[in-house]
Amino acid sequence: MRSWFAYAVLAGAMIAAPVLAEEDCASTQGDVAIAARTPQVDLYDAAMGRRVMTLDQDKFPACAPIVARAPNMMLEVDVNGTKYWVPPHMVKYRFAGNLPPVCRNLAMGSNDTKVGSTRGLGEGCPKPSGGK
Amino acid sequence: MPRHFSGDYLLRAAERARRPDREHMQSLRRRVPYWFVVILLFGFAAVQIILNPFGFSDLTQRYTQDIADLLIDGPYLYPETGREQVSVALVDDASLRSLGMPWPWSYGAQARGLDALLAEKPRAVVVDVMFVDPRKDDTISELVDEIGRYRKAGVPLYLVGATDVPAGAPPLRRELLATGVRVLDPGILVNQGIVRQYPVSGSCLGAGARNRAPCLSLALAVYRDLYPQQPLAPLRGLMELVWGTRANPFNAKWMSVTDENGAVHACAEHQDIGWSARMWLAFFDPASVRSACPYTSVIPAESLIEGRDDADIARLAKNHIVFYGASLSGVQDRSFTPVNGLIASVFVHAMALDNLITFHGRPQQNVVTLGSLTLDNNTAQALAVLPIILILGWIHVRGLRRAGAARERGATLEYVLGKLLEKAWHWFAFALALAVGLALTVWAGLSVANWVQVVFVSVEFAALLLVGLPGAVWAYLHHVAVGIRQLEVVQKEQGA
Repeated sequence: MRSWFAYAVLAGAMIAAPVLAEEDCASTQGDVAIAARTPQVDLYDAAMGRRVMTLDQDKFPACAPIVARAPNMMLEVDVNGTKYWVPPHMVKYRFAGNLPPVCRNLAMGSNDTKVGSTRGLGEGCPKPSGGK
Repeated sequence: MPRHFSGDYLLRAAERARRPDREHMQSLRRRVPYWFVVILLFGFAAVQIILNPFGFSDLTQRYTQDIADLLIDGPYLYPETGREQVSVALVDDASLRSLGMPWPWSYGAQARGLDALLAEKPRAVVVDVMFVDPRKDDTISELVDEIGRYRKAGVPLYLVGATDVPAGAPPLRRELLATGVRVLDPGILVNQGIVRQYPVSGSCLGAGARNRAPCLSLALAVYRDLYPQQPLAPLRGLMELVWGTRANPFNAKWMSVTDENGAVHACAEHQDIGWSARMWLAFFDPASVRSACPYTSVIPAESLIEGRDDADIARLAKNHIVFYGASLSGVQDRSFTPVNGLIASVFVHAMALDNLITFHGRPQQNVVTLGSLTLDNNTAQALAVLPIILILGWIHVRGLRRAGAARERGATLEYVLGKLLEKAWHWFAFALALAVGLALTVWAGLSVANWVQVVFVSVEFAALLLVGLPGAVWAYLHHVAVGIRQLEVVQKEQGA
């Protein structure tokens, strides 16, 4: 009885192993978008570009190779032969390298001082005509 | 004209006022009526509390509030109930550098940030970034779609609107307004440069908002929507903010503090201070007790956008009310708080909501509401001081009536007993006032800032009664007005 149980577990493991491996896209080398993470995935024409298409979760291909990564963290992914940019939070992805840690160093002294200017001061203001 | 108001009488009264009979006055001091003591002390208290001479009353109130936050409430008393439910997703200068995205972000980029937040399954999201400028940006449709995604996911989304737009202009972009999204007034209050209070009401913004007037301020509106099981108390006046001081341990994991010498410290370092050291520093070097790390948990925007599989981010966002805001140099949206110094104003809203959650919809206030009657803090303090006057005055008058000939004692013993009695009398008045103040906090929700004057005034009462001021005033007035007439009667009786 015990040996039958052992055989069943072993067989189950042999069947499940490739499936689990495929879920992690173990067979795909390099950086890869494993699957969609959000109900819909937006595809962009450039890292800082416009949205060109939205795919439902089940339409997004599994194990799509990541071609490039922009400074704003957008991922260039090969979707059915066409390259699109995807917001990284919309996909489960795997990077070969390590991502840099997020840290903050707050200046204690800066609490008592304030910036005495406005960001982008004067941008877009109409230029006065006439007079000095 | 009655005899005692004749010219002769007035002349004599003036003479008595100029040269009072000390012996006669001494005997009158012991006979000061109880009602006179009560009226004199109440008048003294009313002048200090209501007339606020030299702004002394205001200054002591707010200074005490700050010290209470740094010394007692923040480190020891304020529970972490709210902190477990509220987070701030923050875009700061480091986020911009890390993402290589200049500010202001396009509407599309903001939509991606909000979508990244939605992916973490928050309970609600409050966007403290104003989308009001009519700039040319084709990606606004992405933000409109994002509002739809929130609606589909059943996650409440709140935007903030501008209150100082020209008449007839919308409080935010018309495209966004047309989605029917809730729009709130992000106004906060600054008291002597520091954020200590929070408004209860705000402008009615958004579609159909005018019909809902009067409208609540941002934190109150969010609380009312999300915590129907603990309904918001009918609030009048202002909310008094209690600032937590213990930075969320998650913040301490990725934040550190650099002092003026360039030495790097952990966030918790400024909080692990013993009560005695804290008391000393809070009075003599408050800046050293302040924490640069915020109390509310912070989710860095780049971590969110990066979609990194981070258990901490998931824990801070999932089922939390997340405020989405920015802290950028040169963008004037920072406020000075008593416990953090300068900090992004989004934390003020987060702290106000934290207070509401922690106090179950009954935050500390600057007014006392009794049914339909609302008393401002001056009236409440003046009334609160009355029982203290009645008790101290009664003990004082009783002591005067009972005072007999002093027992023969050694000079040293007399001195020591006198000093001990003096101290005990002051401490008694202090304890009495403290008890009344704490009762006002517990039963009426009045913040310490709004009853601390009762304590100051009560200790002054103790000093005034100790030196016998009411008796002296009574004796003088009685002597000037009546005293000599009685003496004349006595002299006549004695056949002088």
